[in-house]
Amino acid sequence: MAEKQLHCTLAAGEHQKAWFAQLRKDVFEKQRPYAIIQADMPFELFHVMEVPVVSNQYWAAIISAKRLSGYYLDALNSMGFHEGLCRYCSLAAASTLANDPEHAPWGGLPKPALLSARLTCDCLQRVFAIWAEAFGSECLFIDNPGAADLPPRWWEFSRYHWRELFEEHRLKFTVTQFQNLIEALERVTGRQFQIDRLRDLMERVNRQEEYFEEALQMICSAPRTPVRMHEQVANVMAAQWKRGSDWAVEHARTFRDEIRNRVRQGVAACPGERLRLMWVGAGIWHDTDFYTAFEEEFGAVFVWSMYLAFGPDGYIRYGLDDPLLALASRTVSMNEQLHNPPWANEWIVHQAKLHRIDAALVLTPMGTRPAATGNRFIERALEQAGIPVLPVVADMVDARDWDPDAMRLKVSEFLRHRVLPHLNSARRHS
Amino acid sequence: MRTSDMKNSDFTAKPRNTIAPIDRLIWHYENPDAEAMAAAAGNVPVVGVTSNTAPWELIRAAGAFPCVINSGNPNYPDIGTFMEEGVFEERIRAIFGAAISGDLQHLSLLLIPRTSEQEYKLYLYLREVARQDPTRRIPPLYLYDMLHTRSPESYSYGLERTLCLKERLEELTGKRIDDAALLYAVRESNSARKAIRKLLSLRNPVPRVTGTEALTLIGASFFISRDEYAHLAGQAVEMIEGRAPVAGKRVMIAGSPLNHRGLHHALEKHGAVVVAEDDWWGSRSAGMDIADGSDDLLKAIFEKYYLDAPSPRVFPFEIADAWFQEESTHGIDGVVFYLPPEDCVVGWDYPRRRRFLDERRIPHLLMREDAGSISEECHEQIERFVNNICIR
Ligand code: SF4
Repeated sequence: MAEKQLHCTLAAGEHQKAWFAQLRKDVFEKQRPYAIIQADMPFELFHVMEVPVVSNQYWAAIISAKRLSGYYLDALNSMGFHEGLCRYCSLAAASTLANDPEHAPWGGLPKPALLSARLTCDCLQRVFAIWAEAFGSECLFIDNPGAADLPPRWWEFSRYHWRELFEEHRLKFTVTQFQNLIEALERVTGRQFQIDRLRDLMERVNRQEEYFEEALQMICSAPRTPVRMHEQVANVMAAQWKRGSDWAVEHARTFRDEIRNRVRQGVAACPGERLRLMWVGAGIWHDTDFYTAFEEEFGAVFVWSMYLAFGPDGYIRYGLDDPLLALASRTVSMNEQLHNPPWANEWIVHQAKLHRIDAALVLTPMGTRPAATGNRFIERALEQAGIPVLPVVADMVDARDWDPDAMRLKVSEFLRHRVLPHLNSARRHS
Repeated sequence: MRTSDMKNSDFTAKPRNTIAPIDRLIWHYENPDAEAMAAAAGNVPVVGVTSNTAPWELIRAAGAFPCVINSGNPNYPDIGTFMEEGVFEERIRAIFGAAISGDLQHLSLLLIPRTSEQEYKLYLYLREVARQDPTRRIPPLYLYDMLHTRSPESYSYGLERTLCLKERLEELTGKRIDDAALLYAVRESNSARKAIRKLLSLRNPVPRVTGTEALTLIGASFFISRDEYAHLAGQAVEMIEGRAPVAGKRVMIAGSPLNHRGLHHALEKHGAVVVAEDDWWGSRSAGMDIADGSDDLLKAIFEKYYLDAPSPRVFPFEIADAWFQEESTHGIDGVVFYLPPEDCVVGWDYPRRRRFLDERRIPHLLMREDAGSISEECHEQIERFVNNICIR
């Protein structure tokens, strides 16, 4: 398990554990409804309706970190689902289908009142419908309109000019989908949705992301990063899953403060930092030590992943007179912004420059192949911007084909033979 | 279409012999670009579409020549510069390759319907290659974003998108799409559908045509005018009706769409006769007619593609599985599930559909190899499967 340098990282972990224990208690003892949802869903609506949520990806990461992915994926394959199907989004479902609570982390996921996903691919309706059937729970989908108008430098428009950035018909359609979801949540809870509560929550989400933005700016400007990537992820995601809650806003502030203190005191995550690395894609959740493995020999520190950076650029929305529409704009293009051309490649290069990145590792998730779309464009754009790229073929949750030593060796060779000579030559020429 | 499947695409080589309709349809299947090239050479705007959920009638009513793109080389070297390995279907790779190499420059528009997520990505990729490198002769692109979930919101959204497409096509050709043009186009395409349904009736329950030939004869409809197709297919039907029944175990193919004849050929070589495929290239290409008496033809056209066109995005399962369940229980001796190595989608349906067959004691075989290059081992598996099927 990778070292934790920040107090708030421990606090985030503790909070997650306590929250889940409470959830199980609430669900089993008080029959309180909860939902399982895909990571790119509008969590805000669930929070406003006070329906606790477990994200599919969060649960997959937990299973993976507990090294149970092989067990569950084997179970899935034995049911006739072949090995080429996406593992990341199906691992949590596999843990339900395996029907073996003794093996499951923290006793497994209890029956949810609702499962829900946005249809950003052709698999998710299948995974979630199969999963919902196994639970005997209701399942609701949010269809996902495609984008045809993708103007350059989206992050310069997303906060104030989101109405113009995203096509009107896409926003309107997404609002209709959210209304369906709200109806389902009203049914589940017996409560009435209140738009003012959503507006308040959206404002708090803005505050939360503003703290994250300050943290990000310090990571960019400090001589050496004050916080490693895996700790950024742990703190940011614990808060993003509960975005807008008092705890999340407060946690984002604490995270910012702790980073600020470290910067003021000149504390670096890796005092010997010489190379700044970028990780593109979801994390390798079954081997988080991988992200610190190149510090000692190369002074190579992972300083960037999408998890922190996307918060400010992707989530902040000003002008909340129609909060549902604003929420639609936050949700509707996550896939294009994070993964697909032209938006993902353009944004990632912009981020690389901001963070003074020396080299990038791009995950090609072979056990979750469709999630690799857009990668070649990202890799080319980074290389064209003078940033050497190493594609890493691995799965984020499945450790079965992961050879930690071979992978470390591969990265070391990349740093030694591509990145260092590249940097030396760039320094000579400047 | 695989390169090995293609012959000379020179449209002047088209057989003119009017008494050989079957040969002519085969020729068109094997030369999918020929008519489109000829139309473009005659200054008719050509609109290429990448799959089955684009409204043919609208394109036709705008005065353009509609055709499905089924050419290109999935191994064109530059594809790997942009597309990830093992992520896209071969057919989508081939279309991408054809577009970035300039092979589709005869198109006035490449219309990409949202039949599958891969096609949406194809649109985004092509758009970006064109932006980054304007010297590549990529045709203008259009995303027809019809959603396939069955909900009132998706319906309204799709109808609105169809209206926008109509406007784009009018702008492209400079011709207003009026009701008369729509009616003409609807009748023309209905006549082709009728011919296809007739052909399908000669496959099951008494097959008079092999699956390999049927797929070819049906597939030609995607590449030529539907008037001509209806005429040729009608003649072909008359010829086939007089044939003796084809002997063999009646097999249905389910799974990923097959835009070539490799699997049909392999199955039939081993004593099966493919009588149906759950696939828009074959048995599901025609579906039902568009109501030509509708007082809102545009809506009727939209509904045809929204409600009666297969797509991996159709949901829920009851609707997505309806055709499979109906067909597999009528005159089918066995089912082959085709899930090629790159499949990431249909595999989720396989255990459910397999269960459906098991409950009815219908034998089935899972095939995970690329049907374009079937190994000896797989041939043996197919042979064993076909031999073990009991005729029902
Ligand atoms: S395509 Fe992407 S979103 Fe869909 S199941 Fe696979 S990993 Fe998940």
